[in-house]
Amino acid sequence: MASSPATIGDFSVLPVSIPPLPSFPKNAVHYLYVRRHTPKIPTPTDSRSLFVTNVPVDSTEAHLRALFASLVGAGRFESATFEDESKEAHSQSQSQSLIDVAQPAHAARLLQAHGRKRKREDDEAERAREEAAVRLPSTWTRPLRRSGSTAVVLLADEKSVQQVLKAIGKAHKTKKYPAWPGSDDLPEGKVPPLGPAWLKAHNRLSYPDRQALQASVDAFSALFARREQEAAEIAKRLRNEPDEDGFVTVTRGGRSAPASRTEAEEAKRRMLEKQEKKKEELTNFYRFQLRERKKAEQAELLKRFDEDRRKLEAMREKKGKFVPEA
Amino acid sequence: MEPAPAKRRKLGHGPEGAEAALESAASTGISRSRAFVLEAEELLDSVRLDHATALDGADALLHRIKEAIEAIKPHEPRPIAEAAAKLEKKHKIKVPFPDPPPPENSNYKVAFEKPAQFNVVGSYVSKTMVRTQKDHAIDMVVVLPEGILQEKDYLDLRYFYKRAYYLAVVASALRKVFDSESTLSFERLNGNPLCPVLAFRPKASKDKDSENPEDKRVLDYRIRIIPCAPDGFFPKNKLHLGAPLVRKSQAEHSDTPPHPTPFYNSTLVAESCFLPYLKVLRKAEKKCAAFKNACMLGRIWLQQRGFGGDISQGGFGHFEWAVLLALLLQGGESKGHAALSASLSSTQLFKALIQFLSVTNFAEEPCVFGPGNGPGKSELASHLESGPILYDSAQQLNIAFKMGPWSAALLHQHAKWTRSLLADSAADQFNPTFILKSDFPSVSFDLFARLKFDRASVEAGADFRGPAWRLGSEVYRILKRALADKEMGERARLIHLQAPACPPWPLAEAPDTQGTSPLEIGVLFDPANMARTVDRGPSAGPSAQEKEKCEEFRRFWGDKAELRRFERDTIRETLIWTSTTPFDLCEEIVRYVIRRHLRIGHLHDEITVYGNSLPDLLSLKPADTALFNVAKKAFGAFERDVRDLDDLPLRVRQIAPICPELRYASVKPPTFGSEKSGPRPLECVISFEASGKWPESLVAIQRTKIAFLSMIGSLLESSKPGEAKTHIGLENSKFETENLAFLDVVYESGTSFRLRIQSDLEESLLERQVKDKTLEQYLRQRATTQLATFRRLFTNLPLHNQYISTCATRFPALSPTIRLVKHWFNAHKLSCHFTEEFIELAVLHVFLSPYPWDAPSSASTGFMRTLLFLSRWDWRSEPLIVDTGGDMPAADRASVGTRLEAWRKIDPNMNHTVLFVATAQEPSGVAWTTLRGEPKPCKVAAARMTSLAKSASRLIREQGVELDCRRLFVPSLKDYDVLIRLNSKAVKSTLKTFATADPDEAESTTQAKFKNLDERTGLAPLPLAQHPADLFLEHLSAAYGGPLVFFRGAVDDHTIGAIWNPQMQRRSFRINLPTSYKPAAEKKRAEDGEEQESDDEADVVEVNREAILAEIARIGAALVDKIEVKGA
Repeated sequence: MASSPATIGDFSVLPVSIPPLPSFPKNAVHYLYVRRHTPKIPTPTDSRSLFVTNVPVDSTEAHLRALFASLVGAGRFESATFEDESKEAHSQSQSQSLIDVAQPAHAARLLQAHGRKRKREDDEAERAREEAAVRLPSTWTRPLRRSGSTAVVLLADEKSVQQVLKAIGKAHKTKKYPAWPGSDDLPEGKVPPLGPAWLKAHNRLSYPDRQALQASVDAFSALFARREQEAAEIAKRLRNEPDEDGFVTVTRGGRSAPASRTEAEEAKRRMLEKQEKKKEELTNFYRFQLRERKKAEQAELLKRFDEDRRKLEAMREKKGKFVPEA
Repeated sequence: MEPAPAKRRKLGHGPEGAEAALESAASTGISRSRAFVLEAEELLDSVRLDHATALDGADALLHRIKEAIEAIKPHEPRPIAEAAAKLEKKHKIKVPFPDPPPPENSNYKVAFEKPAQFNVVGSYVSKTMVRTQKDHAIDMVVVLPEGILQEKDYLDLRYFYKRAYYLAVVASALRKVFDSESTLSFERLNGNPLCPVLAFRPKASKDKDSENPEDKRVLDYRIRIIPCAPDGFFPKNKLHLGAPLVRKSQAEHSDTPPHPTPFYNSTLVAESCFLPYLKVLRKAEKKCAAFKNACMLGRIWLQQRGFGGDISQGGFGHFEWAVLLALLLQGGESKGHAALSASLSSTQLFKALIQFLSVTNFAEEPCVFGPGNGPGKSELASHLESGPILYDSAQQLNIAFKMGPWSAALLHQHAKWTRSLLADSAADQFNPTFILKSDFPSVSFDLFARLKFDRASVEAGADFRGPAWRLGSEVYRILKRALADKEMGERARLIHLQAPACPPWPLAEAPDTQGTSPLEIGVLFDPANMARTVDRGPSAGPSAQEKEKCEEFRRFWGDKAELRRFERDTIRETLIWTSTTPFDLCEEIVRYVIRRHLRIGHLHDEITVYGNSLPDLLSLKPADTALFNVAKKAFGAFERDVRDLDDLPLRVRQIAPICPELRYASVKPPTFGSEKSGPRPLECVISFEASGKWPESLVAIQRTKIAFLSMIGSLLESSKPGEAKTHIGLENSKFETENLAFLDVVYESGTSFRLRIQSDLEESLLERQVKDKTLEQYLRQRATTQLATFRRLFTNLPLHNQYISTCATRFPALSPTIRLVKHWFNAHKLSCHFTEEFIELAVLHVFLSPYPWDAPSSASTGFMRTLLFLSRWDWRSEPLIVDTGGDMPAADRASVGTRLEAWRKIDPNMNHTVLFVATAQEPSGVAWTTLRGEPKPCKVAAARMTSLAKSASRLIREQGVELDCRRLFVPSLKDYDVLIRLNSKAVKSTLKTFATADPDEAESTTQAKFKNLDERTGLAPLPLAQHPADLFLEHLSAAYGGPLVFFRGAVDDHTIGAIWNPQMQRRSFRINLPTSYKPAAEKKRAEDGEEQESDDEADVVEVNREAILAEIARIGAALVDKIEVKGA
């Protein structure tokens, strides 16, 4: 195997030797690219984080823990955040959290603008609890990463970062690459196996216990009902309260009940019918309409004729179209 | 058009008339027919021969031939035997006497004189030859001088003996003169054994060809020298169809009145009609400007359908077409005035003649032209026995005398098909009419048989058409009686025969009449009737009439006929067949009747039958239909069970099936309660009456659905205690706004169904999101995808299910064809890229727009035609429009085309839309060819489909009926870079899971002491949420969507093929890599560096193939047996 460069760009290249498997009995080398984590929006843990790209698809925190342990010894590794997980977290922070979307669509804006400002601190725990209650059980024992995706590894301290980078350099010199942990190297029971067992587990998890499912749905309904209630209350309040400019916001639910969907549709259909009828009565009523229509039809015919010509032209370009098959 | 002032005023008064005309013109798709005209003109331009260059030197050659013939020394009459012997001895030329040759001791005398006249006739003079003709011939007629003929020569082949001798003399003279520059051979004029002609093939033209083979302008032509009788020499009234003119040989045998010899007589008449018909054609050409072009169109149309003037090609060629057209222009059918106007254009003439051929079935009723003094219709009708009749009274000739009843029937049928095509304004009219070749037996006929026969054993008969023809007409009569008669329930729509052609033979030899080429039989099924296993004959009553009928029936069917009692105490003659499939039934009947009546087929290899290997391949059985029906019935019961639930908060509006098993379209018929796997539920959707109670939030709707499903489940379980078991399953969904769950209902009987709930509000909420401009782009994009998924699942699929099952009952061959085509996609590992619905629609298209044939009537023709269609479909520029209802307005079709053009403009690389398949219900065109925002198939897979279909259809064309159909289904594994072999045992083990057993324990429990007594005994397995093999592939595709393209067939295909995406092999390093890369090797970089200096090649990375494959091996674990790399 040709030696690989120790760095590429500002990344250190970390070669990882992949032990052969009976189905693919070859010694492969996987390359991780590692550098210090410098996100655009700094966070307090940046100094002891490493940014890793091109993690293997079957990576888990346990895998990376074992890998870093083999590089710099145990106890340096704290946690790892994978690309897809962080994305999820990111999107959730943008009010896409499950418990935040548990509200009627029309109420979203209302609640955002006029809802009570929650107190952050004591809400956090409450939110987490609600979130867990509402979330449906996962159907996979462990996820697969997209090939070539990234992760952020949090280490114990800044010194560990130094050590890791040094160890990578050393691995290049000695040509002793750390090995990707196999199922034997990982703590028993921590990492569910892939392959058939993984697929079977998925099928089993796809059919969750009915009570648990019901509980989750109930929790959601309760939350949703509460939000609906809140929205209705705010709406009611707003109906009577002019804002600072003196305008009263028009909101749902007034004196009369809101028009039902079916009624609205019926009304629309009637209106369309009426228009149609009116239109029909007046077509071909005047002579000029007839003349114009005929003209339009002729123009249409001419247009189509031109179109055919063009198509024929195109076919001629392609050639071979006009010779009978032998 | 002539101006008609009187009418014009009227038009002014009633604008309605003109308007209606305009409207009707617009609605019948004038643009289509306009396109047809333009295309036909273009076709004529491209096939027209440039006579000056293509047949350069032909005129001079003809003159030289004429001079050479004129220079032959005449000689006095001498006995025929002596003259023939002299020719053979001196010139080594065997006189091509018709069979039987003149008797040795006959005192006929033959002489030679200068020909009375020379003339060039046929398409050379009228310049209607086309480039794509099989062979090009210039016909030169040599009129025999009256001096060497006697009036009585029309009797007993005497004329033909003299003609043959004359020809031999001409041949000897020409050989002397042109020996170095031409090859001479005898051949039969249009396969007519009575009329040998001399074929003169200039060698020079061949040399020219070899010099510059690209120069196709010079043709390889031949000159046919045709001796013929002087016009009006033989008294035509004595040559009428019923006259027995060959008396000698018959008289010896018996004293019964001699048989009429219609073919012999017509040949004689035709012998003296060359020049009159030349005149007729010249006149038509002069009168009607478009005549020549119409003839060329006709020639192409006939040629694409395998018709030609030769007897073996049906006996209806360009000459017959031209004469028919000329007669119609001259004066129509017996009434005297012209049937066609001379001012019509060539396409109009063509269409008119097609129309004429499609309404006149001259095999069943004689068709007479002109008022002449010939025999009347009724008199002619009595000669229909001997063949179809197309009688020209002016020449007193049956133009169709070379045709058999089968070729007339085929012509009639083709004309009908073409007519219905020309009436179908929506279809592409041009290509099926002129471009597509439609005479491959394996594509045209449902059953094809070869009948080997011994020519010596078949007596030639009195009519001189040869033993093959004689046997053919017998076979046709018998098969028609057995298969196509009204009385026998019309099992077949068409029976076609093809007699072997007679090849040219050298001058010194006798024609090879003992050829071994077999008689070919093609049968086109009526799919509704062919599957019948019991035939009911006449009822066995006491009356004389009934008795006679039964007698006749028994005479025909022999021992097979037996008496059976039916309902209402009728006793009938009955035939019971043992086979079950339509094909086997047909084969059984054909073999039986041929053996019974012709004593052929006792030896096994005498009859070979082709066309059944395809259904055998998939073991399609008639019982499969029953299995599909069982599934349908089970679904009906399930629907009733759900509808009967009283406590549902909303009323059920509809429960619709959405899976191929419930529309007769799955490769394997549905089976229930398999031991080896958990139940695989059949998918359905349920919709409720409109309700305002759905919450106005997508997330909440999805949760409500779960609650709803759970309620349906528990209600079902309590209403059917012990009978139905329900499970709520979670979808593999990414977002909370997608459908989250389904309900699986497993019945005790083994049937199982999967239910998903439709909520109308969900659709409108999604629509609102798609339209909401204030929303972020990625959210709108996601909503668009979800809306497409929603519509596909709840709107399009139920409709699709409905019309596919309707069509499956309308076309009995549709369901097996779909299954075969799906099998083909599976075999070539394409099916993971295509939706099943797309395949079904492509097959349906072949049934709904079957031109140039009718809808396929068996699975094998349907399959082959689908392959032909797929190979021809240019999906880059053409949408596939399947008009399921048959009433799609032209405007809608046009808009589908426009939409495709728009897509191609937006997305010229076809990253988002590749195939475009629209139906009347689903005009967007992408519902079946995109899935979750991704094109399905991608461009690579679509191109692979086309190339595979192309090579398959090439095989079909080249190999014909001999093709071993298994070859069409052999995947070429060497095309893939990587092969992932799955372990079938491991895959099977994943098919069964239990709710209680922990997956980690699953391995250990298998080692329990008693296999049948482990803790799971008595437990029902969980249904399969999704097939594990599918899941595995889905994960691989998700993880390696960039670098690898995977190919796999059905779920039981345990070899996954994959190819590396060549566009992703090398790139410069960046943070977000699309897949696993390794730093490019030093050596390679150095090489590259030399080539392109400037690139910052230090950062170049390349795909880390081995690491990726190792990852796949890790994901698959025990599932993957082996990963094979090409070249390793």
